[in-house]
Parts: sequence; structure tokens; C-alpha cells
Amino acid sequence: MRLQRVWAWLALAVGMVYFLLPLIATFEFSLRMRRGVYSFDAYRVVLADPNFQATFGYSVAMALLTILMGIVLVVPTAYWVRLKLPRWRPVVEFVTLLPLVIPAIVIVFGYIRLYNTSSILPLTGTAMGTNLLLLLGYTTLALPYMYRAVDTGLRAIDVATLTEAAQSLGAGWLRIMTRIILPNVLVAVLSGAFLTFAIVIGEFTMAALLNRPAFGPYMQLLGANRAYEPAALAVIAFAITWACMGLIQLVTRFQKHTHLPR
Amino acid sequence: MFHPRSAPRSAPRSATALAALAVVAAAALPARAEIPQALIDAAKAEGTLTTVALPHDWCNYGGIIQGFKDKFGLTVNELNPDAGSADELEAIRANKDNKGPQAPDVIDVGYSFGPSAQKDGLLQPYKVSTWDTIPDDIKDPDGHWYGDYYGVMAFMVNDDLVPEPPADWSDLLKPEFAGSVALSGDPKASNQAISAVHAAGLATGAEPGKAAADAGLKFFADLQKAGNFVPVTGKAGTLAQGATPIVIYWDYNALTGRDTLNGNPPVTVVVPKSGVVAGVYVQGISAYAPHPNAAKLWMEYLYSDEGQLKWLEGYCHPIRFNDLAERGAIPQALLDKLPPPEAYKAAVFPTLEEQEAMSSEIKANWDGVVGVTVPN
Amino acid sequence: MAATGGLSDRSARSWAWVGLVPFLAFALLFLILPTMQIVLGAFRDSEGAFTLENVRNLFTPAILGSFWISIRISFASAFLGCVIGFAVAWAVTLGDLPRWLRGPVMTFSGVASNFAGVPLAFAFLATLGRLGLVTVLLRQWFGINLFALGFNLLSFWGLTLTYLFFQIPLMILIITPALDGLRREWREAAEILGASSLQYWRMVALPILWPTLLGTLALLFANAFGAVATAYALTGSSLTIVPILLFAQIRGDVLGDPHLGYALAFGMIVVTGIGNALYIWLRTRAERWIK
Repeated sequence: MRLQRVWAWLALAVGMVYFLLPLIATFEFSLRMRRGVYSFDAYRVVLADPNFQATFGYSVAMALLTILMGIVLVVPTAYWVRLKLPRWRPVVEFVTLLPLVIPAIVIVFGYIRLYNTSSILPLTGTAMGTNLLLLLGYTTLALPYMYRAVDTGLRAIDVATLTEAAQSLGAGWLRIMTRIILPNVLVAVLSGAFLTFAIVIGEFTMAALLNRPAFGPYMQLLGANRAYEPAALAVIAFAITWACMGLIQLVTRFQKHTHLPR
Repeated sequence: MFHPRSAPRSAPRSATALAALAVVAAAALPARAEIPQALIDAAKAEGTLTTVALPHDWCNYGGIIQGFKDKFGLTVNELNPDAGSADELEAIRANKDNKGPQAPDVIDVGYSFGPSAQKDGLLQPYKVSTWDTIPDDIKDPDGHWYGDYYGVMAFMVNDDLVPEPPADWSDLLKPEFAGSVALSGDPKASNQAISAVHAAGLATGAEPGKAAADAGLKFFADLQKAGNFVPVTGKAGTLAQGATPIVIYWDYNALTGRDTLNGNPPVTVVVPKSGVVAGVYVQGISAYAPHPNAAKLWMEYLYSDEGQLKWLEGYCHPIRFNDLAERGAIPQALLDKLPPPEAYKAAVFPTLEEQEAMSSEIKANWDGVVGVTVPN
Repeated sequence: MAATGGLSDRSARSWAWVGLVPFLAFALLFLILPTMQIVLGAFRDSEGAFTLENVRNLFTPAILGSFWISIRISFASAFLGCVIGFAVAWAVTLGDLPRWLRGPVMTFSGVASNFAGVPLAFAFLATLGRLGLVTVLLRQWFGINLFALGFNLLSFWGLTLTYLFFQIPLMILIITPALDGLRREWREAAEILGASSLQYWRMVALPILWPTLLGTLALLFANAFGAVATAYALTGSSLTIVPILLFAQIRGDVLGDPHLGYALAFGMIVVTGIGNALYIWLRTRAERWIK
């Protein structure tokens, strides 16, 4: 087992070097705002902006809602496809890959065309309606990752047997989903949740064109013409998003234990 | 051809001008008029203006939007500051039936997009009260679109890394600028980058239009062969970091960037001796604007002396620059911050036809001449 | 692709597709219909008449070349992302490392998976660019001149290296639950039967993981294929991948041909479909003996 641990540490070390170096370089650059000396001036400028908290809070709320909607949409679907409709799997998987290659700007212009104030579903007319539209847009963007994550998780458990066992004990579909399937794929769902969270926090195009006060447009508005503030903002956004994800993970720790300890 | 600070302005007392004035509704007023109160009231009733593609650092739009809000008390919805001109037209098209806050009221687009938008029926005509002081060759006679500001192509140079800034396009080929010169965008999509290529071509003495485009493409091919060209999108950040010590930018962007960097690093903005190309942008009101009166008020504000000077604060030459200069309406302090006026004397303003000819030439051939197209 | 398997109880089978309705409705309303404009626009000209001209125009050497570059970069970054991501995920789950490492690695991967676009391009320029941190340090401390050795961040491999920043974390996040699913009993059983570590992996673990690995490869491929912001910011004008071409037609400050843009987008969808079909075929073959 010794050798295995060496390899493990090596893999981790290589990974860490690759990921930390660019971040360190960005951080080092962001400290250079004051000429000749390292300082946190860029950070002070960024954090002093009142819009920072407001837009970040909005995006966090949207991110959590998107995660919920993603779970509600994807987990039953992936489960059902795996259980009853294996022939549909290629179709469903292809559909979930589409948001990766269709530019978000095309999607959001499509939304505006279809769901504007003169259409059957006038979502853009009200703030709440537009929020809902943005939520649906975010769910669409997160779909590929959420589906792949949940599908991976379902693959690792024996869905058919669990379902039969639950049914033979008299459980209905809702109970099967919430009490049996969901807890067993929680680790996978958590992966998908992290990916969703990051996507929503950084997302720009949809929020900008739907005119919602999200973090992405705020970051962009801070200036393409500045040098140090965007670097500081990138570092801050990275750190805060990481912290939020840590919180999410902490919350799920308090759920019922899901997998065997190794 | 429109030349700044040179050709005398024709007096607006001619019959045609008077007739045009009379036709403009609710504006039977002299050229430098007050904004009609009825318009202000109507705009306030609407309460909001929706703009698109107006970054705060571009031509001092941050200051202009704030000034507009302060003066008239309207709120301003700012959509997608990252939008390109094509995105702005697409935003109007997509929002045809939408009266919500996602529909832009006003647009600020590249020169060729004015007629293109008009052809697609995306604009509604409006002539501001200072209409006559806008030069004729830069506006639609019926008032659908009208030039707003211009700048010339310049070099933004990081003094820390480049002790001797280049003075002209030909200097860029010198060996001391190895790995230093960058464009500010993709010449297949960005007006700024395309104009840079065009300017390089003009500097070789070619005629504006296709000839200069070809010459410009050859210049950049040579630049790349010499190892001086960095194919990164140059910005203030990459300039300061060192990846792109020389960025070819509109002068207003370069000057604003210089101010924002605040000496860290120190920046020199150089208007090249030859090949000075001016780029004009145009304003328009969306035909489907949810707040047409607010849009008109916005135009009135932009074309008033106050608005024009605010653009100048962002280092953009407002379209009424000559008129303002003649009347001595420009504060000397502001004039001193600008590059010397001699640099603008040789500025070439491509006509619409020349613009389109050189654009399509550069877009079609950039990859072949400069880019890495052959897979290896 | 009909859902009527028709093997056992007919009436139960024929209602099964109802369970898919919410997903299909969602996809239809919020993904397919809004983007029909692409498919329709690809086959229309500026007057609105039906035409195959746009699609035909895709078959020029320049555009085909850019599709080919896109496919190569996407595949390279997907493959390397899979390999390296697998190694890191393995290290953290099965590699006998301290257990508290796993949480931060997962959450970090979450953030890094979406760290793309201008900030990522800038970060790499600041690291490996001409005056990048690593470039300068290598020169000062070790006397190694990266650029003299032929390294260039603004090239095929440079862009691939940059793409790995969001590909590897994606792989880590998706493969970890699958690695969790490898039961310890299987490993123990294999060892009892005398298998070495290599044999266990080759004959037990990898075959089980194979469908998931393929699926994630497909995801990573599509992820890189559609990525444009990073490439734009990094190589703006030199490496012509398809999304850059696409955006030049439908966005930008100079008049483009939106219908060509839509044809390009349609082409991307087709390529993704082909990639997906390939993956499905390979997976079906692999799954044949698993069930």
C-alpha cells in the first residue's frame, strides 16, 4: 500500500501545482496596483462597491434555486430512463449535451422572442417573471453537468433491485425517489450542485440581456479597461464561491449518512 | 469627406436648412435650442430608459449616464455592456414584441450598422434640436441614424517595458518591438481591430478601401513574420501585465486606460504620424422602443453642449466638435488633456463604401494571411 | 427511437414514456424551441427563402480547417482532462490519502470547473506568458528560457493546456461518485483470487468504469467544443476554432452573415451528435457483458 500512497500524493501534487500557479500569478498581479509595492488597493476598490454584495447575494439565491430545480428535473428523469426507458437514453443524453454547443446568447434571444410581453407566456413583463425565465435558463445551462453527474451516481447503485425492494414493501413513487434514490446518489448530486453553483455565479450573457442584477454583469461592468481590479475580482469571486460550496458540503454532511466509510 | 477643424461650416441660414428646421416637429427653434419641456415631461412620465452596449469606461458613458440620471431623474436600465454592434441590432429584433425592460431604446453602433439597421426597419427617425450642427455626411438625411463621436487609431504603450515608443506604423516592424504588438480584438469581428489593419495599410500610402485593406493585411503578415505580433486580445490588463506592451487602440480607449492605470505602469499614447484613421459611431432610436420619449430626451442630452463635452471628457471627439470649438464652448483644461490637434489634421474618415470594402476584405483574408489555419 | 419495448406487459410499457414528459417539455420549451432559430436560420437566406447555400458554404477549406482544429483541441483537452482528472480523483478517493482532503478538492473542482473566459486567459498569460510568473522564475532560478525552447502559450497545445483548467475539475467531480461505487468487496475478492493491483484495474475496475469514462469524455469533448470565451481572450485572432468563427458572424462590430453563423452552429450541433453517437456505440459494446 505504501507505493500506492506515493502515487496518490504525486498525482495530487501535480494537480495542485497546475491549478495553484495560475491563481497565484493572478493574485500576485492584483497586488501590484500601487506602484512598486504590494498592496490590497485593488481589493479595497472592489469590496467598497455597494453593488458587490447586492449582486452576489442575488446570484447566490439564484444558484441555490437552480440547484433545486435541477435536482427536481434531472433526478427523476435519469432514474426513470435508467429503469424503464433505456432506449431513450441516447436521445436524452444528446439533448443534455446541446446547451454546451449552443451559444447562450442564442438561447436568451430565443427566450425573449418566445416569452415576451406580447406572447402567450409573458414572462419578461414582470420582475418575477423574468427571474423565473432566468432560472429556467440557468437550469438549461447546468443541465449537461447535472445529468451526467446524476447518471454516474445512478449507475453505481442497483436501481432496479432497490426499486423492486421498495415497491414490495409498499412504497409509492414519491417515497422511492426521496427516501431511497436521492440519498443514495447524494454524492453525485452534490457534484452536480457544485458545477451548477459555479455556472450560475459566473454567468453573464443571460443575466445581462434579461436585465437582472446578477453578479456576472456586475463583474463585467467593473471595467474591461481596468488592469488590477478585474484580477482582484477574479480572486475574490473564486474565494467566495469556494467558501459557499464548502458551506453546501457542510450542510449535506448533516444529512443521513449515505455511503460506507472507507 | 469630413475633416475636423478645417472646412468652414456652412451657415445654417440657407433656405434648405430653414425648411428642414420647419419640418422638425415641435422644434421651431434656433439651432442651439433648449430641450422642449413637453419632451422632458413625456420622458419623465415614462420614467425609464433602456440602453445597451455602453461600458462605463468607453467615452465616459459612466459619467454621461449619471449626468442624465441626475439632470432628469429618470432611471437607466443598462443591458449587456459587452454587446457588439451586431448584438445591439439583434436585441432590437428579438425584442420587437417585448415592452419589458429587456428591450433597448437606444443604440450606439459602428458606422456601417446605421444604414443596415435602417434597411431592416429597426430605427425610428428623430432630429435633435442641434441637428444642423451635425455634419451632413455622417447622418441619415431623414434622421434615422446620426454620428455621435469619433476617435483615431493610436498606439497605447507601456513605458516600463518599451522605453522608446514607436512613432509610426513602420516603426512597429523594428526588432526592438519583438513580441510586443497586439490588436484589441479579433479582426474578423471587431470594428476596432479591423480599423487598425486598415490604418496600417493607409500608412503605406494605399487608397482607403480594399487597397489599404490588402496593404494592411500584408503589414500584419510582415509583423508576424518579424516576430513582433502577439495574437492576444490586448487590454489594459494585458498591457500592464506585460503580455502585450503595445496595444493598437482607439485613442479614447488608450487615453482612458492611461488614466485608469494612473502611472502604474506609465503609459504613452501615440497617434502615428501616418495612417491616421478615424472611426465614427452612430446613434439611433429603436423603432420598437418601449420608451420613445425617454429615448428622444437621451438624444437631446447627448447632442447638447453638456452631453458633447462629457464625451470629450472620455477623450472621444464629439461629432459637434467643430461647432463647439468655434463658439469657444470647450474649456481649455479639457482641450489640454487631449492629444495635440495636429495629429488629427491628417485623419482619414472612410466613407461607407470604403468602410464596407475594407471590412469584407480584411474579414475574409485575415486568417489566410496572418492566422494559424493549417492544422499541424 | 420508440419507447415501446413490448417485451413484457404491453399496457405498463406503453405508459412509461409519460415519466419523461416533464423533461421533454422542459427541453422543448426552454432549449429546443428558443434555438430553432439556428436550425431555421441555417437553411434560410437573407430574404427568408429556403436554401442549402449556407450549409454548402461550410465546406470551404477555411471552415473545414477550423472545424478540424476545434475537434482536435476538444479531443486533446478532453482526453488529457479525463486521464489527469481520473488520477486526481483516484488519489483522493481510493489513494489512501487523509480523508479531509476530499472535501476541499471537490469544492475547489467545483469553482475551477467554471473558471473560464477572460480571467482564465489572463491567469495563464500571467503565468506562462512572455512576462509570466513561471517564465520569469524559470529564467531567473534555473536559467531555462521557455520561449527559446519553442514553448508558446498561444498555440494549439497552449490553448489545450489552458482548457485543462476547467476540464480536469469537471472530470474529477463526475468520476468521484463512480469511484465511490467501486465496492471494496470486489477488490478484496480479486486479491483473494490472486490478482495484482494492475490486474484488478484492468479486469475488474476499468471495465466497470468504462461506460462512465466514455460518457464523461463525451461531456468534456462537448464542453471544450463549445468553449469560446477563453479562446477569444487568449488567441483572439490566430487560432480559428469554430465558435470564434461563429461569433464573428452573429456578433461583433462589423457586418457579418448571420445565416452562415447559424449554419456554423448547426454544424457544431451535428458534430456533437456524431460524437455522442460514437460514444453510445462504444458504450453499448462495453455494457453488453456488464449487465
